[in-house]
Amino acid sequence: MKKYLYGVLILVLLILPACSNKSSGDEIKTGDAKNPAGTITVWGWDVAAATLKESVEIFQKKYPDVEVKVEDFGSGDLYEKLTVGLAARGSGLPDVVLMEDERIPGYTHQFPQGFLPLNKLGYDKYKDSFNPAKVAAVQDKDGNMIAAPWDIGPAGVFYRVDYFEKANVDPDAIQTWDDYIEAGKKIKEATGAQLLPIDISNYDGVFQMMMQQQGLSYFDEDNKITLQSPEATRAMSVIKELYDADLVFNNSGWDGIVTATVNGTVATIPYGVWYTGTIMDQAPDLKGNWDMFYLPKFKESGTRYANVGGSSLLIPSTTKNQSAAYAFVEFFTTDQESQMLGFEKYGLFPSLKDTYVLPEFTANSEYFNGSPIFKRFAEIVEEVPKIHLNENYAKASEITSNTQSSVLLEDKPVEDALKDAQKQLENEMKR
Amino acid sequence: MITSNNLLAKIGIYSFLIIGVLLSIAPFYWMFVGSTLQSGEIFHLPPKLLPGTNLAENFQSLSESIGITKVFFNSMFIALTYTVVSTLISAMAGYAFAKFRFKGGNGLFFIILCSLMIPSQVTLIPLFEMMVSFNWLNTYQAIILPGLAAPFAIFLMKQNMKAVPDSIIEASRVEGAGEFRIFFSIILPMTRPALAAVAIFQFMGQWNSLLWPLITLNSKEMFTLPVALSSLIGMARIDYGQVMLGTTLATIPIIIFFLLLQKHFISGILGGSVKE
Repeated sequence: MKKYLYGVLILVLLILPACSNKSSGDEIKTGDAKNPAGTITVWGWDVAAATLKESVEIFQKKYPDVEVKVEDFGSGDLYEKLTVGLAARGSGLPDVVLMEDERIPGYTHQFPQGFLPLNKLGYDKYKDSFNPAKVAAVQDKDGNMIAAPWDIGPAGVFYRVDYFEKANVDPDAIQTWDDYIEAGKKIKEATGAQLLPIDISNYDGVFQMMMQQQGLSYFDEDNKITLQSPEATRAMSVIKELYDADLVFNNSGWDGIVTATVNGTVATIPYGVWYTGTIMDQAPDLKGNWDMFYLPKFKESGTRYANVGGSSLLIPSTTKNQSAAYAFVEFFTTDQESQMLGFEKYGLFPSLKDTYVLPEFTANSEYFNGSPIFKRFAEIVEEVPKIHLNENYAKASEITSNTQSSVLLEDKPVEDALKDAQKQLENEMKR
Repeated sequence: MITSNNLLAKIGIYSFLIIGVLLSIAPFYWMFVGSTLQSGEIFHLPPKLLPGTNLAENFQSLSESIGITKVFFNSMFIALTYTVVSTLISAMAGYAFAKFRFKGGNGLFFIILCSLMIPSQVTLIPLFEMMVSFNWLNTYQAIILPGLAAPFAIFLMKQNMKAVPDSIIEASRVEGAGEFRIFFSIILPMTRPALAAVAIFQFMGQWNSLLWPLITLNSKEMFTLPVALSSLIGMARIDYGQVMLGTTLATIPIIIFFLLLQKHFISGILGGSVKE
């Protein structure tokens, strides 16, 4: 029966055009640098995307002719789409894209022409509005500002006030990592809780913080690997000491760290300021029981400050509306009101320094034991040591996590393990 | 009469099986319970094993964050259209390869088999560029069309079509049936198990597919379930209650679809293995 087949054929032909989208005939309207106009698309994730979306209204007061469409993906998903788009010579890319700072060197290395140097569009006049470590993070190796700084994650040690009281430990007395370990032993005896969570074989965040305190990443200014430096040895040795005293809770991934936060497995969590949002969200009934002290320092050298995470805005060079894209990026990253929107609602800590004097920053937090926790984070922003990252960040981080796991779980001596890690990273970078 | 020895063996087997059943059901049960709890409650120790009271709130926030009804419709529409059309195409292609002798037929089939060996990552970027130049980004057809002719499904159908005796086809021709009539009224009913197997494969593949829809879809209203669920996992804040409810909703259709077709499914897998 031929009718049958024709029926199916007709159905297919009917369905397909019906679901096509009117996106075709969109004409691209642009303005010039003085009067940007037209529509731009912005990619972001999660609460950052929500902030961008809500700030459009403020933006349009100044630039009424620009429409901004914010599209929201998971961060991993966004990178996947971005990589495919860049590999397809810019097809299907947005006009503005959000990126974590540690990813920037990788992308600018793989796609050197992929993003517009913002300093050439006039962004360098804002250089002094942000802290130096952040400005260093958004520059490519030729010193161009490839991204506009948005949020940062000054690090501190979140701690359980009730556990510390029960063990009779004074958080202010913890100055060095040795003090920290001693305190951990006391707390463990009094409460049974371990001191801190480390996802031993997958995440070297604590090691990275310890390195930055001492002014280094996996690489120094000249791109030399630092895994065999005295700083690295010190950092890994402290982690080993913590583990040997049974103070490390080996959590599995992000979910594991959240679990440990909620159910009291650990007494402290060294992390970036944005973790305040997670603590408040996931453990509302622990109100008043969390507070923060700065990272302990190494007695030999270094500061008590580091940074975990942070993101910035980039403009893919294939944008068809450069003036509007730049206008949005410039406005959003330097406008107090937009920046405070993300901070107040979602805990995205701005790198725009002149926001730090606003009352929202200086207020005491009821959740965090009545302390002015955000003010205390803001006070250290300027002190966070500048470090140098490059496109091999991801590799280096993976190798260091593996090293961490062989040192802790397989009892490999710290010096040997770091020496092997250095060699392995050197080999992989040669490829 | 059951001897006591026999009884003991039975108890042993049954308790073993019951443990197995519990172990395989537990994650699903936990997923369901999680969807009725607040995010923080999910991490409590000891875990809450009974459903909580937060189901409505979770649904509410899920609707707000990803528009679950539209997303569900997108997934359903895409998966069903894709399954129906691609099953039909593979049945037709399989029939042609199995029962018609034509010039280049074997060569063509060989090429189709070869395309099974090309990893999908290789074609990803060219295919994406093609979609961009068609202006098809963010449309249903960008997801449905590229995979319609599935080599594996064609291969499976061909093997099953081979088992249909030539004499039946010849007899039908003698009786005066046209080729389409033979295909739709005789061949298709005879290969129902294989069709069901292919349908399940295609449906599950499309329903769970993440990478391709993720790359081609941009706006929330067009997202399929996996893409929308994946967008719930943000940087630092995850509402686990929402995620659990979303995954529960995404699992239910697959379970229903599988239960409906499972008896065909198993005979379909075995179908190609026996040669007569």
